[in-house]
Amino acid sequence: MILLQSHSRFLLDTLLSRLQNIEKAVELDYHWAEFDDVRYHIQVTMKNPHIVLLSVSLPTPPPETVFLSGLPAGAIEAIKAAYGSVVQILDPPRDGFNLTLKLNLSKLPTDEEYKHALLVKIASVREVVLGAPLRVILKQLASRTVASDIDPLVALVHRPKESFFLIPQAEKVTVVFPMRFKDSIDIVLATSFLQEFVDARRTAGLNNAPYCMWSPTPPLELKGAPDEALSVNAGFVTFVVLPRHVEGKKLDRTVWSLSTFHAYVSYHVKCSEGFMHTRMRRRVESLIEALDRAKLGMENARNNAAQNRSFKRLSLKEARNHSFN
Amino acid sequence: MANTLRLYLTCIRNTLDAAMCLQNFPCQEVERHNKPEVELKTSPELLLNPVLICRNEAEKCLIETSINSLRISLKVKQADELENILTKKFLRFLSMRAEAFQVLRRKPVQGYDISFLITNYHCEEMQKHKLIDFIIQFMEDIDKEISELKMSVNTRGRLVATEFLKQFI
Repeated sequence: MILLQSHSRFLLDTLLSRLQNIEKAVELDYHWAEFDDVRYHIQVTMKNPHIVLLSVSLPTPPPETVFLSGLPAGAIEAIKAAYGSVVQILDPPRDGFNLTLKLNLSKLPTDEEYKHALLVKIASVREVVLGAPLRVILKQLASRTVASDIDPLVALVHRPKESFFLIPQAEKVTVVFPMRFKDSIDIVLATSFLQEFVDARRTAGLNNAPYCMWSPTPPLELKGAPDEALSVNAGFVTFVVLPRHVEGKKLDRTVWSLSTFHAYVSYHVKCSEGFMHTRMRRRVESLIEALDRAKLGMENARNNAAQNRSFKRLSLKEARNHSFN
Repeated sequence: MANTLRLYLTCIRNTLDAAMCLQNFPCQEVERHNKPEVELKTSPELLLNPVLICRNEAEKCLIETSINSLRISLKVKQADELENILTKKFLRFLSMRAEAFQVLRRKPVQGYDISFLITNYHCEEMQKHKLIDFIIQFMEDIDKEISELKMSVNTRGRLVATEFLKQFI
């Protein structure tokens, strides 16, 4: 898996299995967490087997982002638009969560294909909620109707207490990611990865991809941003998104890949560390073998083994033949 | 480039060949103790002059000899930040497994990246020329491994970036 999937696999599987045994009333109460501190809770009671309560907890927003009653701007509209009558938003949400949805499985459409698509959409609730403000801005870009009262610098949360920035303009939206990593090895690997983004953009096949820049210092666009949002250890990545990148069906994919850019890079940094460890372990083995070759005892052992092999084991039949002769 | 590497390794090989004539030597100060003199440096008459072989400023090899032990310290070249971190990671990985290598020192000598300590006991249970072969192979392997690791990081980075950007097309 190179790209991150937008739906939570576990949530989708749970919903699908629930739907298959809809008549059988069971008690479900699952908690689980995903990358970037998104936590889920799902609950089904014996009394109403077709009602599923799904709660989502989002990463803690930093002060510069706008959160309305625990949700990013536009999230409620996005949920209503995406799910329609199947989903009802409960207010207030469950304790410790930002959002609680009441899913009515009996209201799902009967058409199999459409039903599955809707379930996948429900499993991607994270994309719908966290990506809502980004989607609004990119949609305006696609239709080239940027609101005149829009903030020149929009901060959106993507990790606990960390945000990335959007600079919406009529013809383009500039997206800036301040990149932070905890580990010193992660920092170095991520920096080299990020520079590859800049290089990869220059290759012939990717001429139409968004323009991509990396710089160790904050770009000029971030002038108004608070200082703590600009303290980074792996530089700043800037993407320039043009209307052609958000046309039609591309919008969903663009929203998802931009809102999980940090997770994507960090996932691959960890993968390559794991790969390195495998390699190093193999190398250690080959080196120990080389050292063993130097040992005196080993030589003798090999000679003994060679002598042993000169004995031939005879089968019972052969042995009898030999004794007759 | 490959040529200078060969000269460097040949020089180390010859030096080791000459330096590795170790004999059993009990400690002079404490009865029934037998310690590697090169580590303790208790008396100057038991030590030989250390030899420093440099390929360039970044890559060098220090060979310190005493009557019953020999210490080899290597400094590996680190051209950039990435190589630096890969070298550190890899050599730390090796040092942590020093037990399995027997002749590897747990901590490198100050100013070097990795050190070996060979005592007369090692020389008794291993063949001298093969032990030298091992050291040389070790040096070659470290260089090879680090450049391969670096390449794999870069290739992966390129692939990751390409896949990401492809989504927008």
